[in-house]
Amino acid sequence: MNTELLYIEDDREIGTFVVQHLRSSGYEVKWLRSGEQAVEQAEGCKLVILDVMLPGLDGFTVGQRLKKAMPGLPILMLSARTAIDDKLQGLQFADDYVTKPFHPDELTARIEVLLRRSGNHAPEALQVKHLLVHERENRIVNGETGEEILLSGKQFHIFNYLLRHLGQIMTKEQIYESVWGEPYLEGDKTLMVHIRYLREKIEKDPAAPAIIETVRGIGYRVRA
Amino acid sequence: MSARRDGRRKQGFFARQSLLTRYILIVVSGFLFIPIIIPLASLVYMTTSAIGGGDDVRFTMKYGNAGEVEMDWHAEARSLRGGRPDEVNARLRALADEYPEASLFWVDAEGQTRLRLPEDAEGEGGVPDHWSADDAVRFMKTSVGGDPFTVVAFLGENNGEAAFMALQLPRKLVEAGPSSGSGTTFFVAFVCVSFVLFTALSLLFFLRIRKRLLLLQAAMSKRGEHGLPAPVEVKRADEIGGLEGAFNGMVEQLKAGRERQQEEEELRKKLISNLSHDLRTPLTVMRGHLYTLGKEPLSGAGKESLATLERKADGLGELIDNLLAYTLMTSGRYRLEPEPADVWRLARESAAAWYPVWEKAGIEADIRLPADPLVWKVDKLAFRRILDNLFQNIVRHAAGGRYAGLYAERRDGRLMLVIEDRGPGLSGSSEGKGAGIGLAIVEYLLREMGLAWERESSEIGTRILIYQSGSSETWGDSR
Repeated sequence: MNTELLYIEDDREIGTFVVQHLRSSGYEVKWLRSGEQAVEQAEGCKLVILDVMLPGLDGFTVGQRLKKAMPGLPILMLSARTAIDDKLQGLQFADDYVTKPFHPDELTARIEVLLRRSGNHAPEALQVKHLLVHERENRIVNGETGEEILLSGKQFHIFNYLLRHLGQIMTKEQIYESVWGEPYLEGDKTLMVHIRYLREKIEKDPAAPAIIETVRGIGYRVRA
Repeated sequence: MSARRDGRRKQGFFARQSLLTRYILIVVSGFLFIPIIIPLASLVYMTTSAIGGGDDVRFTMKYGNAGEVEMDWHAEARSLRGGRPDEVNARLRALADEYPEASLFWVDAEGQTRLRLPEDAEGEGGVPDHWSADDAVRFMKTSVGGDPFTVVAFLGENNGEAAFMALQLPRKLVEAGPSSGSGTTFFVAFVCVSFVLFTALSLLFFLRIRKRLLLLQAAMSKRGEHGLPAPVEVKRADEIGGLEGAFNGMVEQLKAGRERQQEEEELRKKLISNLSHDLRTPLTVMRGHLYTLGKEPLSGAGKESLATLERKADGLGELIDNLLAYTLMTSGRYRLEPEPADVWRLARESAAAWYPVWEKAGIEADIRLPADPLVWKVDKLAFRRILDNLFQNIVRHAAGGRYAGLYAERRDGRLMLVIEDRGPGLSGSSEGKGAGIGLAIVEYLLREMGLAWERESSEIGTRILIYQSGSSETWGDSR
């Protein structure tokens, strides 16, 4: 069974199109025209796409209720209002935010990121170049040789962090602070050393890394 | 309110008067004091001496006052009728014992000085042995008002005989000389005390006014909720009380004004939000249909049109966003919350988000930002928006240069963030050139955060330098 999403949108034209797009991307979609039944209907869904401007209960109220009832359920806010004020108010409970008009591909990309981050991703292994990553079991297998790759704690956390932000460039500060849980001050060398060891384990040619890409001057990225 | 009214009711007559009335009362009472104080002082002095100092008076004036001594002396003279020398002598000797400090003498009807007491004082005090008319007149002349105090009385009934007797006493014994001196001291002290009292009262009066004014000043400069001063308690119905009342009225008006302003802002914000919604919803639908259309088989020209449409739809979306953002900002609805943040880090994170877009547009990113933090006081969201707008401009107007540089530069001792492209420059024509609202937002946000920028543009590219404005700012460029 496909991953089920709850979509709350009052505009019929946008709703029709988004539902169509999401279904063609392989998701089950439950579409509500108002937020009244949101909490009941969210049962069994892996993610909620929530429009801000709704008749009756507004999106912020619905979002807060959902978050209270199901704290682990990722919420993606979708808004046609100005980005500035809503962004601050919305992001207090929302996990991500997309402003209308959005590119449909951006929407699906954000959904994938959110699902992966919350652990509600597809059960099959994620393929990154020659690696098969079984995220559920925290297992990485070399798809060509079938050998399991064992990572140290920090290496695993770094790799996992980059995988959760697949396709995004993460700065050294972001990686360090997420993995070590402390402010990045002189973490530069530490992080570089760990990335070097990580590459030695997962890359075919650590001197020319294909999986963990260095983005000069910014940070690192794992491309899908 | 009721407590305040009770407090006012409890206050006395003086406190209820205006400051002017109160001050005039003090001044008038000060002036009235001068004529009042002198009789008052005498009265006080006399009563106190009558009560506590009676013995004292008798001691200093043991023979009574001058009048009494005179009367006694005349009575003695009357009792010596006939003027027999023996009798008079005996009586005078007795009297000399009574008045030990006195000198006495008597002169018989022939003008002969008979007995002079004390006897060793013979020939002194201008008393001749034989009295002529000249002598008598001279003696009387020197004696009147002089010291010693002299009483002359003719002997006999009704003091009618020619013989007379004289008594000379030191004047201090019959006039309250020393006690009149202590009276002066008393007066001076009394007036001084009154003056000090008056000064103290005036001073107290003004100190209390000053204290209340200072309290009012403190209340005015204190900022309560919403940045408005809190109303003060009106304690007295005088001029300062009136001032306090007026101040409270002003605070009320300000509060009402602030509330009205907030309501208007809320309305305006709502209007903008609704407008934004109404503009974006059809755009979203259009965007969706363009996407669907893109999946259909299209000719080369069709695909090209579609790409243009998509680009225009994106541009329109951004324009709406910028326009509404700019309206919000300039109407003061967008409140910045500057906090110390590492500018290099913000720039890196922003560049990380834009990197894929640059890659897609064939722009090479050249990012060389220092590892040591550069801490400026900025609103992170606003700073990101600035960078977003500038990076967006590179994609839209300078993609032809295929270069986006982001680095630090030190100029005049200050570190600057430089964003460089190799496009046709700001004056060059570009397909996506618009009203420049994106740059207007950059300008506004930079200014609001105390930052400044410079643009160096030529036909081979544009360099944008962002730095902290004002030379007094401290530079936390390293640790």
